[in-house]
Amino acid sequence: MELWILFGTFVALMLIGTPIAFCLGVASFVTVLFLGLPPLVVFQRLNSGMSVFSLLAIPFFIYAGDLMVRGGIASRIVAFAGSMIGHVRGGLGQVNIAASTLFGGISGSAVAEAAAVGGLMIPQMKQRGYGVDYAVNVTSMAALIALLLPPSHNMIIYSISAGGKISIADLFTAGILPGLMLAGALMTTAYFVARRRGYPTEPFPGWLAVAHLAAVAIPGLLLIGIIFGGVRSGIFTATESSCIAVLYAMLVTLFVYRQMDWDGFVHATLGAVRTTSMVLLIIGTAAAFSWLMAYLRVPAQLVAAMNAVSENPYVILLLMNLLMLMLGTFMDMGPLIIIATPIFLPVAQAYGVDPVHFGVIMILNLGLGLNTPPVGAVQFVACAVGKISVWRAMRSIWPFYAAGLLVLALVTYIPAISLWLPGVFR
Amino acid sequence: MTTSPQDSAMGRVAQVLSGLSRLSLWLAGIGLVAMTAFVAWQVYGRYVLNDSPSWTEPGAVMLMSWFIFLGAAVGIRENYHLGFDVLLYVVPKSGKRVLRMISDIVVFAFGAGMVWYGSQLVALTWNSILPALGISGSFDYFPVVAGGVLVCLFSLERIALRLSGVRIDDDIETEAEQSGHYEESRI
Repeated sequence: MELWILFGTFVALMLIGTPIAFCLGVASFVTVLFLGLPPLVVFQRLNSGMSVFSLLAIPFFIYAGDLMVRGGIASRIVAFAGSMIGHVRGGLGQVNIAASTLFGGISGSAVAEAAAVGGLMIPQMKQRGYGVDYAVNVTSMAALIALLLPPSHNMIIYSISAGGKISIADLFTAGILPGLMLAGALMTTAYFVARRRGYPTEPFPGWLAVAHLAAVAIPGLLLIGIIFGGVRSGIFTATESSCIAVLYAMLVTLFVYRQMDWDGFVHATLGAVRTTSMVLLIIGTAAAFSWLMAYLRVPAQLVAAMNAVSENPYVILLLMNLLMLMLGTFMDMGPLIIIATPIFLPVAQAYGVDPVHFGVIMILNLGLGLNTPPVGAVQFVACAVGKISVWRAMRSIWPFYAAGLLVLALVTYIPAISLWLPGVFR
Repeated sequence: MTTSPQDSAMGRVAQVLSGLSRLSLWLAGIGLVAMTAFVAWQVYGRYVLNDSPSWTEPGAVMLMSWFIFLGAAVGIRENYHLGFDVLLYVVPKSGKRVLRMISDIVVFAFGAGMVWYGSQLVALTWNSILPALGISGSFDYFPVVAGGVLVCLFSLERIALRLSGVRIDDDIETEAEQSGHYEESRI
């Protein structure tokens, strides 16, 4: 009964369009009233759920991303990627994916990336005669690469939701190979779709031009090394690295590229406030919601239910993946990680799945949900940039979904893809 | 949001609220810059001064609370919160108004809860001391109360505007536009 109230209130409010943060908060509040617990606990959990030092990485990384987009770091990375692989079939599609991979190494937010890379690439692709649906789908799928590569703030949310005992450095390292695999799978798909549709290639500008554009892009790209190297070697924590990323982005855009003015700075700052305050409030109310689920013993019940279905870890992983894909279509990633981690992680661990490996599975899985209607933040951004409806994008996204699901299957069933690299560094 | 003030009293209220919302947004922005400075100081302190300051982490976390509640409250006024809008596209205009109204009332109720229970938490923690900062533990819960007040004010404004016939629900944008990200990042 309590569970019905909790989930029922949540779903009902969500359907009428109440902001997600308040759906989670009010559902928890109503359930607490029903259970006769002191309502105070909801607001206390909400506050303690947000007052976590590691969470600072979210505003910082998003802020850094906004600064990088406004200050010209993103456009230089796109130009560099363009010179490298524009001459491959479906050139601008490949450029889009390569740029997303490079930018993903410094940004970490898929929404920021779809806006940044899509904002630069989609108009160009339209102009060169690519279908807008192709441009939008390549953009939205390539943006997911950022979720897997360091510095992915979603990995930090996962680590916090798992009780803070999973090393963020390990998670960052574990995501690298899956991220590159996703890039490879998308490039292959983009190549074949482009060949079937007869899309053009770009002329190769010559090695001199590549070297020149690389040199121009290097101040931005250095950040990849600073963040990863700093966190991996323990010089600074993930949160501190996100702060360094903000400072570094400020310095590069102010003094190296000299493209940042007061106006741009204010816009980037207030833009980051708008995006992250909303996300963090959701994380706070999701923490209250998730505490209630634990109180109502949802995880234990789920383990029992799964046990009844099968004892085979492969089947369990498949079931959990399907469940998460389903949840991912109608919920956003951040709150879903907070709600789903305490439920699914104990199940996964009961079947011998490494928590770092499971984190990568979950991030990739829920990431695909960012590209599915009815709630798909990344897809919505890409469609808004390309000015087409989600439904039009959906008509031709299937080959790209297939590529994403293939990578998800490989990552799920071959733990070494995630766990080999962290082992090397340990 | 395009508000056409019905009469001067309502217009003045709208002006005050608009100023309040700008102020909150700017304070949150300053908070973000200050948080950056705190954490940067922590790294600097550890490596250059060889002395890790103990106030930077709790200080930055407290700033983050303010930042979240101020920014999220402004989000209600500017309507950039993430929500599930599918049903709103398919119902007729009058139905949409009703659903939006329920939504705003729910938000208002939660804001009231933040004020009421947040104040109780402030009272409960009044006499405790946060060791790292040397201030009362109730400081942890001030942002909840202040955020609640703003949430109530801004959701009430939306309810009042709708009741007075201003069409604030006619242009439902995509989530991307609501998040402000799309506008922000067109280069």
